[in-house]
Amino acid sequence: MDFFLQLLFTGVGIGAVYALVALGFVLIFRATNVVNFAQGEFSMVAAYLMVVFAVDLGWPYWLAFAIAIAGMALLGAIFNLLVYYPLRNRSYLPVLISTIGASIFLMNTVLALYGPQPQVLPGWFDTPGIQLGPVYLDSQYLLIIAVTLGLVAFQYWLFERTLLGKKLQATSQDKEMAALLGIPVAAMIMITFVYSAVLGGIAGILVAPVLFVSIQMGSTIALKAFAATIIGGFGDVAGAILGGFAIGIIETFGAAYISVPFKDAFAFLVLILFLALRPQGIFGERVAEKA
Amino acid sequence: MNARALPGLLAYALVAVVFVALAATVKTDDYVANILMQAATYAIAVFGLSIVLGLCGQINLAQAAFFALGAYAVGLGTADYRLPFWLCLAVGIAIALAAGALLGVSTLRLGGHYLAMVTISFQQILTVVLINAIGFTHGPDGVSSIGRPALFASGQAFLALAVAAFAISGYFVWRLPDTRLGRAMRAVRDNELAASAAGIDVFRTKVTAFALCAGLGGLGGGLFAGGFSYVSPDQFAFSDSIVLLTMALLGGVSSPIGSAIGTGLLILIPEWLRFLKSVPGLYLAIYGAAVILIVIFMPDGIWGFVGRLFRPRARAAPAPAEPLALRPAAGDGVAAEARGPGASGAGVVLEVRGLAKYFGGLKAVDGVDFSVRRGEVHALIGPNGSGKTTTLNVVTGLYRATAGRIFVDGVDVTALPAHKRTSAGLARTFQNIRLFRSMTALENVVIGAEREGNTLVEAGHGALQSRARAALEFVGLGSRAHETVPSFSYGHQRLIEIARALAANPTVLLLDEPAAGLNSSEKKALHDLLDRIAAEGLTILIIDHDMTLIAGVAEHLTVLNFGRRIADGETAEVLRQPDVVTAYLGAS
Amino acid sequence: MKLTRRSVNSGLGAILAAPAILRHAWADDSTIKIGIVLSVTGPAADNGKYSLTGAKIALDRVNKAGGALGKQVQLITEDDQTTNPGAVLAFSKLAAQPDIVAFIGSIRSTQNHAMAPDILRTGKPVCFGGTDPKLTKMGNPWLIRFRPNDTYSGRVIASYGVETLGKKNWAIVNSTDAFGVGGFNALSASLEKIGAKVALDQGYPNQSQDFTPVVLAIKSSGADIIGSYFTFDNDIAIFARQLRQLGVTLPWVGSPSVVATNPVKLAGAALWGTYGVADFAIDSSPEAKEFARLYGEVSKTPPDNYSSWTYDAIGVLCAAINKAGSTDPGKIREAILSTKGYKGAEGEYNFDANGDGLHGYNIVRNEKGTIVFDKHIEFTD
Repeated sequence: MDFFLQLLFTGVGIGAVYALVALGFVLIFRATNVVNFAQGEFSMVAAYLMVVFAVDLGWPYWLAFAIAIAGMALLGAIFNLLVYYPLRNRSYLPVLISTIGASIFLMNTVLALYGPQPQVLPGWFDTPGIQLGPVYLDSQYLLIIAVTLGLVAFQYWLFERTLLGKKLQATSQDKEMAALLGIPVAAMIMITFVYSAVLGGIAGILVAPVLFVSIQMGSTIALKAFAATIIGGFGDVAGAILGGFAIGIIETFGAAYISVPFKDAFAFLVLILFLALRPQGIFGERVAEKA
Repeated sequence: MNARALPGLLAYALVAVVFVALAATVKTDDYVANILMQAATYAIAVFGLSIVLGLCGQINLAQAAFFALGAYAVGLGTADYRLPFWLCLAVGIAIALAAGALLGVSTLRLGGHYLAMVTISFQQILTVVLINAIGFTHGPDGVSSIGRPALFASGQAFLALAVAAFAISGYFVWRLPDTRLGRAMRAVRDNELAASAAGIDVFRTKVTAFALCAGLGGLGGGLFAGGFSYVSPDQFAFSDSIVLLTMALLGGVSSPIGSAIGTGLLILIPEWLRFLKSVPGLYLAIYGAAVILIVIFMPDGIWGFVGRLFRPRARAAPAPAEPLALRPAAGDGVAAEARGPGASGAGVVLEVRGLAKYFGGLKAVDGVDFSVRRGEVHALIGPNGSGKTTTLNVVTGLYRATAGRIFVDGVDVTALPAHKRTSAGLARTFQNIRLFRSMTALENVVIGAEREGNTLVEAGHGALQSRARAALEFVGLGSRAHETVPSFSYGHQRLIEIARALAANPTVLLLDEPAAGLNSSEKKALHDLLDRIAAEGLTILIIDHDMTLIAGVAEHLTVLNFGRRIADGETAEVLRQPDVVTAYLGAS
Repeated sequence: MKLTRRSVNSGLGAILAAPAILRHAWADDSTIKIGIVLSVTGPAADNGKYSLTGAKIALDRVNKAGGALGKQVQLITEDDQTTNPGAVLAFSKLAAQPDIVAFIGSIRSTQNHAMAPDILRTGKPVCFGGTDPKLTKMGNPWLIRFRPNDTYSGRVIASYGVETLGKKNWAIVNSTDAFGVGGFNALSASLEKIGAKVALDQGYPNQSQDFTPVVLAIKSSGADIIGSYFTFDNDIAIFARQLRQLGVTLPWVGSPSVVATNPVKLAGAALWGTYGVADFAIDSSPEAKEFARLYGEVSKTPPDNYSSWTYDAIGVLCAAINKAGSTDPGKIREAILSTKGYKGAEGEYNFDANGDGLHGYNIVRNEKGTIVFDKHIEFTD
């Protein structure tokens, strides 16, 4: 039972990381119908920015965080202009490949600038964690879980309670109709990219103290987060969050009770099973093409 | 094989033989031989991608995994089980083919991003298995001392074998677009709905494309294993799938020449640019940026870009076509009437009984009955939102009926998918034109002519071509057969769509608002065309808002309002009914 | 012009290998050339840089002392892109230059496996650093190893843990790549031989984000010591931290990565007190100290096993060329294999018939973040 609780905490913590990255996937997918394969790289770049500002330059943590997030917003905007915008009128395939190109570019640019050694980013708290009975709670994971839940609430508020959110939603549902209603579609898509780069950045900065900062940190997380997005049903925010937690938990328990070496296969097996049995995801997205 | 392809085949064979002979005799140093070996085997896998991506418009992010299946079949088979090379190669291709088909069957219905994700998953799982199933795969150590067939034991001879395989699969991929299967793939890529309406089994076509792609991956992998006599899991990772994909895109997915160029460049460029590599990551960063630039500025790849300069001019005007025969063979109708319980009234070819289609709570079509008699022009009219197009979509199988039954020639087709209904004799056009835009007018119509169950066309390339040409001639576009769709005006595109339906020799022709968007002279031409079709005795079900056109061509009217039938009968009679006038004409 | 086979060949070669040929033209015959395959790009690019530095330091020494056969010695480098096909291409590119007399291979076993068929065909000595024991037992006479192979690392870990620390119940954690699995096999075989028990055999995939299940398995296995083969620096750091967080304080003797620079920096206090085997330890010998001094002159980072083995390989190779008195590959090979008692930075080289030069390892300890030399364990069988 002690082990079970410890594993559960770990699963939820890892799951929260996937969920956070999955949130960024879903937003861009809803706005543009495109899966952004460079979403994980947003996390990686943000973590390196933090290393530069907070460790190398020695700025206060909050200042480094603020500047890193501003940097991510800028990256999101540039990404939109260079990687997505020129292809907005083509099918999903060129855009998808373009984001793969962007992922390769970002990873290797950081490699060229910073070298391949993993880096250390200190956590937010001085206390590494708390012992709660038999279970050890890593403080950084507690923070990640809290921030993920907070961002879900924020996102709900943004989309359901604000005019901007309504406009974003309208854009994601029907661009032509949104344009007819006078919503500046290009601006809405820009906001989406900026917001999801920031989300990815927050995820990266939060996990960096746990997983260390490395070139590959984004891509390993992003693949699982992508699987979470699909399990949750593409384009469904609540589904992606649940999918993220589900994969984190399945993976941790699968590793503990079935096989550690095959750990990475569990998420994908679950995904294929899901696609075969319930392609519409947890909450169901219509998969059928419009006639 | 048609006569047109023969000189091409001879030229190709000549060039291929020269290359194989060069590979077999010219003594190269190991470095050059290794590069050529890698290029030839990778290119075969890239050919596969050009089928899936270029011809069929689907994505495959696991080509390295299929490559690995072939490579490991040859590696493990020859090294551990001492099986003959050829058997291992065949088994490898078969496993890759089967894996591709299976993966396709499980997800191709979903398409797009799901396919991307599932192929990635497959790639990751295979890598994990290759690494961890140590007892079987030797794990991360890889498989060494892989065997070669006795005849090709030397490096030189094996290179010649790889080049020969490259040439043969290249020929296959080069000719594929002009075969029935290839046309079906292109049709699916251009427009899935139109493809299924033209009688193509979209799902099966996609699965076939996927399986062929995987099979070529397996072939390339098997030869790769023989060539380098060592394989290990890290050679076939996700990043390698991306490299293969980029090779395909860089060269251009529309042609095997593009695949070969892309493969060659992506193997050679890293060799040439080694000086860039003194800064780790710099080369790959440029590579990543180049991928984006290619996608944006060279959507058709290098070969597509260059090829445009050399593309042959449109072929000379075709010989005059034979007149288009539209009536089914004499015996057909009679046999059909005797066929089943659905054949209620004499001469009824299309019967709709109690048809309903609900979208959630919305009853778009709610218990509609009508019968279309043989040789008659039957119109379905009603105000906007009355359920006309929905009815047509349910009849042709794009939507599944909520209730009710549909009979064609007395055969119940209610449960059949769209393409099977086309084989059963329905052919349609769409409200917003759905043509295969990358193809010529003739190719569009050939696809229509090719539908299963078209009794007027014997098998064979020539018969199809002349049937298609006759159909184009019939709608007045015979002289522009070899132009691609975008060069036609809107009105002419509509005519191509009608020609495509006519070429299929349908039992019933279904036209969904053919006059929409046409100017008055085009409408006049359409009216004449419909008259000529009707004069040939073909049954037509037409939907349109243009009452002049409807009153002019239709003999029988069915009027819908709010998803229900409000009138049915002879045209003149129905148009006099007061509720029709208020519901429909009054409202317009 | 008559199209001869030769001209076609050289033409084809020229297209494919234009840069190499250019470089070729500039090179002159007054030098002895040694080809070296290393990672300039890819995930192991940093390690490749270290290896090159080590080789260059040795080269400097050799050339200052008069070179080989009275000529200066020159290094020709090729990038393996940290991939196996890349290594094959890099090697065959070097092998195509006939004036290269011998090669320095890779530190990664799979790359040496991949290059092995080409190496056999080329028929010139290749000094390599991969530690898979099989490499020198495949009947390929040209493969000569300059690091102790994994049977020795396994034996040293086992012997230190069992005999020095007195622990007989082992939990072994290893990555499921070639290195980790090879290491596991060697360690468990050695443990069995000296009568200790493997309580837990736990493989894990590289780039794992979490090791909780592994740590819990160790906890419940009842093991009293941990042996490990880790590949990636961040994996080892995450594992070490979670191990301590979940209250495991067992002694830990690991493969070289436990005491390598990066993980020690990443994991901080979580790795204090651990033991690791190291083929290179600065304080293990005067030769190692001397190498560290030379290395310190050209580089800010401290030297490690990526640079020490290439340093030794160049040293042994050049001495062997001088001893052979010719650049004949067979003679060079014989001269290397007859090398006995050569004191290098890694230890004393006594080549056996298989081509293995080293037969022991150093044990080092992490003393609050500094790596200190503990003892050297050498085997003679």
